[in-house]
Amino acid sequence: MTELRVNNITKNFGGLQVLHNVSFEVNGPELIGLIGPNGAGKTTLTNILDGALNPTSGTVYLNGRRIDAMPPYEVAKAGLGRTFQVTRAFRRMTVLENLYVPALALHPAARQRDFEGKAMDVLEFLTIDHLRNEYGRALSGGQQKLLELGRLLMLDPDIIILDEPFAGVHPKLMEIIYKYIYKVNEDGKAVIIISHDMDTIFTLSKRLLVLNYGDLIADGDPEIVKNDPTVIEAYLGVDEDDDSYDDEEDDDE
Amino acid sequence: MEYSSIFFLTLLWVLVWGAIGLAVTPRIYLRRDKDVSQTGLMGALIGAAFGPIGLAILWVFTPSYKTRWVLLPGIIVIFILSLAFARADPNNLCVTSGSFVASQLVNGIIIGIIYSLMALGITLIFSILGIVSFAHGEFYMVGGMIAYFMTARWFPGVNPLLAILAACVGTFLIGYVFERLFLQPMHTGEVERPGEYAILITFGLAFFLQYFVQATVGANPVKATRYFDFPIVENALFQTSKGSITFFDAVSIPNPRLTAAVVAVLMLVVLLLFLYRTWTGKALRAVSEDKQAAAVAGINTEGMNTLAFALGSMLAGLSGAMLVQVFSWLPQVGTIASSRSFVIIVLGGMGSLPGAFIGGLMVGLFEAAGTGCIPDPTRAASYIPAYGMIVLTLILLLKPTGLFGKEL
Amino acid sequence: MNRQWIPRIAGILAVVLLFIFPFIYGRADYDFIMHLWITAFFFAILASSWSLLAGYAGQFSFAHMAFMAIGAYTAALYGNYIRILSAPTNLCTEYQIGGRWLVILNPVGVTSSAKDCLEIAKESLPVGTIISQPSIWWGVLGGVLMGGIFGLLVGYLVLRLRSTYLALFTIGFAEILRAAISAEIAITQGQAGLELLPLFPRGLTLFGNTYSSTDKLMPYYAMLFLFLLCMAIMLRLTGTRFGLFIRALREDEEAAAALGVNVVRYKVMVFTITAMMAAAAGAIFGHYIGIITPNILLILQMSLVIAMAVIGGLESIVASAIGAIIILFMLELLRNSFDIGPVRVDMTLWRLVFFGAVLMLTLRFRRNGLIAPILDWFNRAGVAEETVAKRQAAPTEGSD
Ligand SMILES: Nc1ncnc2c1ncn2[C@@H]1O[C@H](COP(=O)(O)OP(=O)(O)OP(=O)(O)O)[C@@H](O)[C@H]1O
Ligand SMILES: [Mg+2]
Repeated sequence: MTELRVNNITKNFGGLQVLHNVSFEVNGPELIGLIGPNGAGKTTLTNILDGALNPTSGTVYLNGRRIDAMPPYEVAKAGLGRTFQVTRAFRRMTVLENLYVPALALHPAARQRDFEGKAMDVLEFLTIDHLRNEYGRALSGGQQKLLELGRLLMLDPDIIILDEPFAGVHPKLMEIIYKYIYKVNEDGKAVIIISHDMDTIFTLSKRLLVLNYGDLIADGDPEIVKNDPTVIEAYLGVDEDDDSYDDEEDDDE
Repeated sequence: MEYSSIFFLTLLWVLVWGAIGLAVTPRIYLRRDKDVSQTGLMGALIGAAFGPIGLAILWVFTPSYKTRWVLLPGIIVIFILSLAFARADPNNLCVTSGSFVASQLVNGIIIGIIYSLMALGITLIFSILGIVSFAHGEFYMVGGMIAYFMTARWFPGVNPLLAILAACVGTFLIGYVFERLFLQPMHTGEVERPGEYAILITFGLAFFLQYFVQATVGANPVKATRYFDFPIVENALFQTSKGSITFFDAVSIPNPRLTAAVVAVLMLVVLLLFLYRTWTGKALRAVSEDKQAAAVAGINTEGMNTLAFALGSMLAGLSGAMLVQVFSWLPQVGTIASSRSFVIIVLGGMGSLPGAFIGGLMVGLFEAAGTGCIPDPTRAASYIPAYGMIVLTLILLLKPTGLFGKEL
Repeated sequence: MNRQWIPRIAGILAVVLLFIFPFIYGRADYDFIMHLWITAFFFAILASSWSLLAGYAGQFSFAHMAFMAIGAYTAALYGNYIRILSAPTNLCTEYQIGGRWLVILNPVGVTSSAKDCLEIAKESLPVGTIISQPSIWWGVLGGVLMGGIFGLLVGYLVLRLRSTYLALFTIGFAEILRAAISAEIAITQGQAGLELLPLFPRGLTLFGNTYSSTDKLMPYYAMLFLFLLCMAIMLRLTGTRFGLFIRALREDEEAAAALGVNVVRYKVMVFTITAMMAAAAGAIFGHYIGIITPNILLILQMSLVIAMAVIGGLESIVASAIGAIIILFMLELLRNSFDIGPVRVDMTLWRLVFFGAVLMLTLRFRRNGLIAPILDWFNRAGVAEETVAKRQAAPTEGSD
């Protein structure tokens, strides 16, 4: 069973402390929402879990293996996959090739054609199979988001972190992503969803983490967290009906 | 001969402790739960300068990073190496003759200031467009060629100021047109990988300009005559002849170099005044800080990019116009000037104008020390292009963003 | 017939033609044309391997000619300083291997009239001692390996450096190497250059025909073989995970790493492989030309390779090779100067000006080069039609 243990993660950039003693655990196929104001450190936390950044202090264990000192490509093979806040499709590679990258990285002895069937299934599920031979750059922004999700399916990790999967997405496409999240969750994967869209978060997640400028101020059932006075003071209460425009400001990397 | 082993043993000692400092210090900071950025560099230099004792003190107290913890040991390392060199080769002019050292030093500083004039332009361009212009040396070459042709071929006897002005206008225009035609699509997102595109396209321009000048002018070296003569003055402090000025009977500076250096300092001041006092300058700085915000504030960022590139190229042309009376001029002189500018801009921290000035001084001094002091002059001369490049590669490995952080 | 077959058939035809070319071409300028072909293959190897490095893997390195020079200089140093004797000199550095002695000569420099250790020892060597130069092919092999070692080293050093910084670092590397070769006159003879033996110093007899050591036939086939070998290796590699991963690396290093691609290994690998190819080309070409000087390391030589790859099509190995060959021939054919009235147009220079302009215009307006789009038109036949057809068939389309 998937087990992620995050112990006392602290991260400094120069003099700026972005994360401060963040600890939590993920046990089994949970559906977790991670929220927090802009600059709270959500993306930084994702980067640390995924190995792209080293924490200033603290440890991370995935299924009993220590992953905080691993480079990202080993973390990925150890079973943690993530998407990026700003989509990062491989723009000058075809959609199929985009999918083959993680598949081949995971299976050292395999060849591209071994995954043709699986890749087509994934593309069909995401409704972009007609684009399979198009270059990544020929896809619309939303389609590129779907492509990133597809790549994660090919990597087949135990835990998936989605950094703002709903930003700039049409309701029709949102449905597909919902379906995707439920599907991977049923397949036994844990999913952490970062979003500024409260409705989605409350619909999807069974557990909510709240980051507030480096501190993990709440962790628990969404309904309870929602009424937690510290959370309300720090975050939710301030501008509850601001979600709508929050969606748009997502390209600040 | 056995003296030289002293030097190499010292070098080995410095390198070993430097490497240990580089490798171990970040780990110790990490374990102490302190910020690790820059600590490798700090450890390397302190290790190199003070050996095990310095490292022990550093590791016990783990002070947080300050520029002085890098600068001070850096200077001490240079001092130690020079001392070892002096011991190793006691008959060298650099060791025996005070006036030789003084004149090398002064000439190093003068040439360093001249180099920094060359690098001001590339720094300006980098700080605003975020690209390194690989054609910088060619603008320098073209500027020199225009000045030479104005004074020597087309209008002999013309006021040199006019020639310099023509060089400035010419290079400004080339830079302007090039930016408009070839760099503009970078900013509009038309180009997939702007960084690589900028490298290749400026490289292509360098290739084009160099061969264009060679095809039109030929490959024979030319040299402009002195722009003006010093008045003859003689007093206790210095004495002048038409072509040079001599201080204390010991340190002599050729006229063209001194004028070029004075112009360089003037240009730095003018540039800083322009950037900090005029509206356009402030707009330029705003663009270099944050393109989007500047655009929102109503600044025409496209125009600013073009202006910065043209101005930067003009500065290169100006330094060429000043130096065509110092060095003999060939269509290929740009290549060396380019690589020197690269060294300076990396030394000075990619985009900082005062940094470029300090970088220029450092390169000037390095080269003066290298050519003046290393025994076997032909060999030393062949290595001249390498000194700067060794510094450049080492800095990029230690600290990929240059020595002094980014500021304008 | 499917359009995708056309470039393949054309390719096979071209290779066959290249193989029989020396036998069917009988014009008076045979030697000159053969020389052009050899040089063209040389540049084609450099341009196509650079396109693997820069176009596929996104590593815009300016050290490619430096790797080439490492190959050539290794072969040259080997040929100049290593001898095999049947008796020991007791003077030089030497190692006994079986009944022979591998002797390493001491460098004496270019101007000095001093004798090297072997010449001094000759006077006291027993009569009948055989002094021979070992096979040059070991030197070529050594050059390739040395190129690989340096490629590996540079690959590791530049792991953290991106675009501009990588370019500056590799320029620095090439310049340091050039300065060192120019300065260490005692060993490398500086600007005077090191001489190399022809590829087959004693000539060659094939099918009853004897070819002298200066005949262009052997270098032609050696270079052609190397060219085809490099192309085969690269085309094979680009079809495997290696090709897929280095392209992912080029597109987005962090995303590739997050998907499990060992970015460190593949970056170092691509540097090593392309450096070895450049070094091999350098070693063979050095033996063909017969002399090698530090000027092959000038940044302008590098820009020639870059321009060939860019004009052909940076992101296609075949296109950049074809581009290199066409450009080399064009440059040679444009060499004839002409007069317009009283003005003499010196085409040896103007052709390069023209070439520079073409390079800039290609970069600006035809980013995929001039030849790659043609190949692409054949290879990607039907993709757009397919998308359109599928889009009409599938009404549920996910986009925003
Ligand atoms: N590489 C870096 N260097 C310095 N500071 C950084 C770096 N990356 C992030 N930061 C800072 O860390 C803080 C947290 O950033 P992070 O991207 O994690 O926020 P976030 O919670 O994802 O915000 P958003 O909702 O806007 O995406 C910000 O103040 C940011 O400026
Ligand atoms: Mg974020």
